[in-house]
Amino acid sequence: MTSQGVRLCSLLLREHFGEVVEKVGTHLLRGGAQNLRTIIHETGISLDLVKKSLCVLVQHGACVFSSGRKGPGSPTEYRTSCDWILRILRYPRYIYTAKTLYGDTGELIIEELLQRGHLTMSSTVKTVADRLTQNMEEGCCMDYNEVSSAFAKLVETHFLQRCPSMVGPGTTASATPATPATTGTPAVPHITLVGRGKRQLCGEDGEDQRNTKKAKTDSQTHGDEGICWQVNFERFHLHFRDQAIISAVANKLDQTSSEIVRTMLRMSEVTTSPTAAYTKPLSANEIFRSLPTSYNIPRPILDQYLTLLVDDPMEFVGKSGESGGGMYVVNLHRALANLARATLESVVQERFGSRSARIFRLLLRKRHLEQKQVEDFAMIPAKEAKDMLYTLLSENLVQLQEIPKTPDFAPSRTFYLYTVNQLPTARMLLQNCYKTVGNLIERRLFESKESKRLLEKSQRIEAILASLQASGAEPEQLTEVEEMITATEKQQLEALRLHINKLDSAENQVDESIFLIESYVTSTMSAY
Amino acid sequence: TCLWKKETNTLDVAEVESRIKALCQQFPHGITDQVIQNDMPHLEPQQRAMAINKLLSLGQLDLLRNSSGLLYRMKDIQSTSKMKGSDNQEKLVYQVIEDAGNKGIWSRDIRFKSNLPLTEVNKILKNLESKKLIKAVKSVAVSFKILNVKMQRCEVSPLTRRWTFDQDFESEFVEVLNQQCFKFLQSKAEAARDNKQSPMVQRNSSFATSHEVWKYICELGISKVDLSMDDIETILNTLIYDGKVEMTVIAAKEGTVGSVDGTPCGLCPVFDDCHEGGEISPSNCIYMAEWLDF
Repeated sequence: MTSQGVRLCSLLLREHFGEVVEKVGTHLLRGGAQNLRTIIHETGISLDLVKKSLCVLVQHGACVFSSGRKGPGSPTEYRTSCDWILRILRYPRYIYTAKTLYGDTGELIIEELLQRGHLTMSSTVKTVADRLTQNMEEGCCMDYNEVSSAFAKLVETHFLQRCPSMVGPGTTASATPATPATTGTPAVPHITLVGRGKRQLCGEDGEDQRNTKKAKTDSQTHGDEGICWQVNFERFHLHFRDQAIISAVANKLDQTSSEIVRTMLRMSEVTTSPTAAYTKPLSANEIFRSLPTSYNIPRPILDQYLTLLVDDPMEFVGKSGESGGGMYVVNLHRALANLARATLESVVQERFGSRSARIFRLLLRKRHLEQKQVEDFAMIPAKEAKDMLYTLLSENLVQLQEIPKTPDFAPSRTFYLYTVNQLPTARMLLQNCYKTVGNLIERRLFESKESKRLLEKSQRIEAILASLQASGAEPEQLTEVEEMITATEKQQLEALRLHINKLDSAENQVDESIFLIESYVTSTMSAY
Repeated sequence: TCLWKKETNTLDVAEVESRIKALCQQFPHGITDQVIQNDMPHLEPQQRAMAINKLLSLGQLDLLRNSSGLLYRMKDIQSTSKMKGSDNQEKLVYQVIEDAGNKGIWSRDIRFKSNLPLTEVNKILKNLESKKLIKAVKSVAVSFKILNVKMQRCEVSPLTRRWTFDQDFESEFVEVLNQQCFKFLQSKAEAARDNKQSPMVQRNSSFATSHEVWKYICELGISKVDLSMDDIETILNTLIYDGKVEMTVIAAKEGTVGSVDGTPCGLCPVFDDCHEGGEISPSNCIYMAEWLDF
């Protein structure tokens, strides 16, 4: 729980769940696992609100509870972690991925689940069908079956997982939630859900309210009570990782090689554990059989491509044996390390220029170098090289290692070697990324706050316009209302909209780097 | 016999000198004692020695030693005028440096050759340098030795010295070479890709051996001095450190991952001082304001 991480988490919590949840969440982050009484006591929030906040956090997978430290019988403790809360930043990416894989239906299913945290299949299907029907043309409806099948597909590919079954409230002793089943495909409950999406009529307000009330009191049971589903974030992360590797191969080599790597990764989706360093070895024969036929790659060409991939210095693919025409693995850890290294190098390049980047890459390759050797290898004049090295040193991107010739460390008799340690540097960069995203969010909130008055005015006018249109007003009245916003105000609003979009997209961009570096750090740590 | 002697006696010193000078001009590579003797057989060795000494002290003749004995050579007028104000020691040191030719000579070697003490040599070197007759060049490999060469283009073959024409790397030169090599490799890779043959052939043909790169650079003629294969390889190494090129050629950079550089925070010089509520904060960040309005 670094300070920047905590800051970012509290910003995210505040934006998505409000200030009370933010307080509770931040307190848990800073204080570690605590029980209910401690939380109430230290945050000064009422019991009711604390309970509700914890519910919200648990519902969204940001908090877990377990039995107390002093053994069974002691009050349950609640625990949260930066990683879980930071996932909130990535929600747009999850939704977008679902859209590319499973279309609009998939997108809305994931969106619903992300918004609600845990949801039963039937409610999801109903809501999604209604929403889809809303956007379709008159007379068309979304059939529940289509949505259900999309849902089932998501479950099959493990993007959705079953919520761990909670034991009843009476047995607090064994209240540790069971881990969701990761092996095998959890059975999609057979739900008796027949029907179509209901289009919400744009009628008077009264009718709308009645409709929504009806939905809430809909006491139809669909056969899946108590079986809740949640988004399987880990699976999405694996998917992102695979995407990153494939696009790197495509950039580095060519399209066909990336297709081969994509096939290999697809084949090993279910057989490789998330923290594995390599995929299971695949024989060239298997790969050949699984290649998409549209590419029409003949067998000898495939062999050549595989050899090229193996020889490539980025070491995406490795050869582990000769049986079956050659056994090949995808080196996951090494690929992540290389991607993280590329990120570090590009950061140095953007910040300090291409010559400093040259020195940085040189040190990454050659590990330890003296000042003189750096100048020679990089072919940069001595004065400038010294300057750049010292700048990098002051920013902690480069470290100095002293090797004494004599026990008294006299400067004239010591070797001073420059070196770059990839893992600590990556961690430092990660903190910088957190801070950057925090800055972007704050700026966005600030800009909205500045123009609050303007935004409220435009919202009011829109509401007036909408009601006028619904009640069939004449065009003159509409234009009159529209002119209540002056041209400059319209400009300001437009500029504000652009700013906020830019800040939003920048957040997503930085999140991509965060994901890469986090994956690299996690994979390296798990290797030890 | 009397007549004979008389004739030798009448040989004027000046005549001897001019005769020797004429011989030197006839044989620009230098003449030995034997040649002078053959030309003026009646000249006594003593007189000959005197004439030669006179010419040497006047600085019109060069004294050289080769495997078979002493050589006298005509000194060119230009260099004689140079040394007018210097004394013998300076002349000696200058001679030593000149003999070393374009390669230059270490100051320690000057000391050995001239048999002068170190302080003397340093003083003389400073004098000569101020007269702009010699030039000190720092070598890259060993910075504490000082190289003295004449004011001429540096010798080409030793790698370290070529890059140190002006006591520093010819950075622009290096940059130009860098770019040229990269362009060459890039065009080769593109040609290979357009070829559309099997991937192995593509890849192999997109290679360029350092020999090919060297030939290309030489043919371009952008370099006044000749470059060796080693030098080209050092340039190629810098391209590797730039991430543009590998030991095997890749035309495109590896996937540039979305990084912090999209936002101004990545380039902000006061990133560490930025806090909410502080003097520098995201709310009042001028870089952000600029970037948003861009």
